[in-house]
Amino acid sequence: MSLPRHNYDPRRVCINPFPNISLGKHRRTVGIYLAGGLFALANWTFLDAAILSAHAHPPFDDPQLPPPVHVTFVDWIPGICSLLGMIIVNLIDKDRVRGEDGMGDAAAVWRARLVLFIGFALMAGGLAGSVTVLILKYIIHHYQEQYTYYGYANVSQNVALMLSAIVLWISQSSGGEYEYSLSI
Amino acid sequence: MAAGIKTVILLSFVLAVGFLMIILSCALWSNWLPLLVAFTFVLAPLPNAIFSRCGSDDFSTEEGSGPVDLGRFITSIIVVTGFALPLVLAHSEVIAPTACGMSIVGGSLVYGTILAYTRTFRQDESDFD
Repeated sequence: MSLPRHNYDPRRVCINPFPNISLGKHRRTVGIYLAGGLFALANWTFLDAAILSAHAHPPFDDPQLPPPVHVTFVDWIPGICSLLGMIIVNLIDKDRVRGEDGMGDAAAVWRARLVLFIGFALMAGGLAGSVTVLILKYIIHHYQEQYTYYGYANVSQNVALMLSAIVLWISQSSGGEYEYSLSI
Repeated sequence: MAAGIKTVILLSFVLAVGFLMIILSCALWSNWLPLLVAFTFVLAPLPNAIFSRCGSDDFSTEEGSGPVDLGRFITSIIVVTGFALPLVLAHSEVIAPTACGMSIVGGSLVYGTILAYTRTFRQDESDFD
């Protein structure tokens, strides 16, 4: 490390290992396409589990017992919570949350932050709920791997929904304020 | 202009091959669910086409507004749906795995044709970008 760093800040403790990706002009477009793709992927992952559950049958050389567990409405609840949270988070005006530019009164900023908190809480609650469903409904009953897949699909649905919301948030905040909106 | 005519002929052949694959994937197993893939991919450029007229303003230099973003989001959802639908159907053994592969290949040919056509014969925006 004999060469001095490009932007060296002596106050900095850790060196940021993330590469400074700049897609330039198309960053917003790419981010939004990516967010939509993740959104569809999330919902199709869960729908795959639901359709598979509706068509489930044991392997043909086994005795033909009915499957012990199905995807019921309980499995749908975490996804619905995540979806509501994602909608709420993206409805918030992002300039209003910052509240430092002297725009708007303090009460509006407070309300915006409260609604944003509710949105993120819904998303986190959806993720936590999916993990809860995975453990309580599938893992502690020691089902076969064919059936625990429903729970894993539920968790991955919620993770992908959260990723989609994050990507959408980052890509919608315009270019110059990139570092700033990440620090909210 | 000769290049344009060649491109049109090539693209139409690719489009025909794509539809052939999709229809074969339906007809060989006499299970017409993969035909949804064709509808999905034909529908895919529609939100972009609708919403791109909403946000464009001569004075706003910064790209992107709410409606344009919504159109891109929906387009991306539809494209991923087109790929995910045959996979899901094949996973739950509604359609055969070969039919799934054929409909995915056919669908991506159709969508690639649409993309290439709009990319090649774009008229208005190319002067300004």
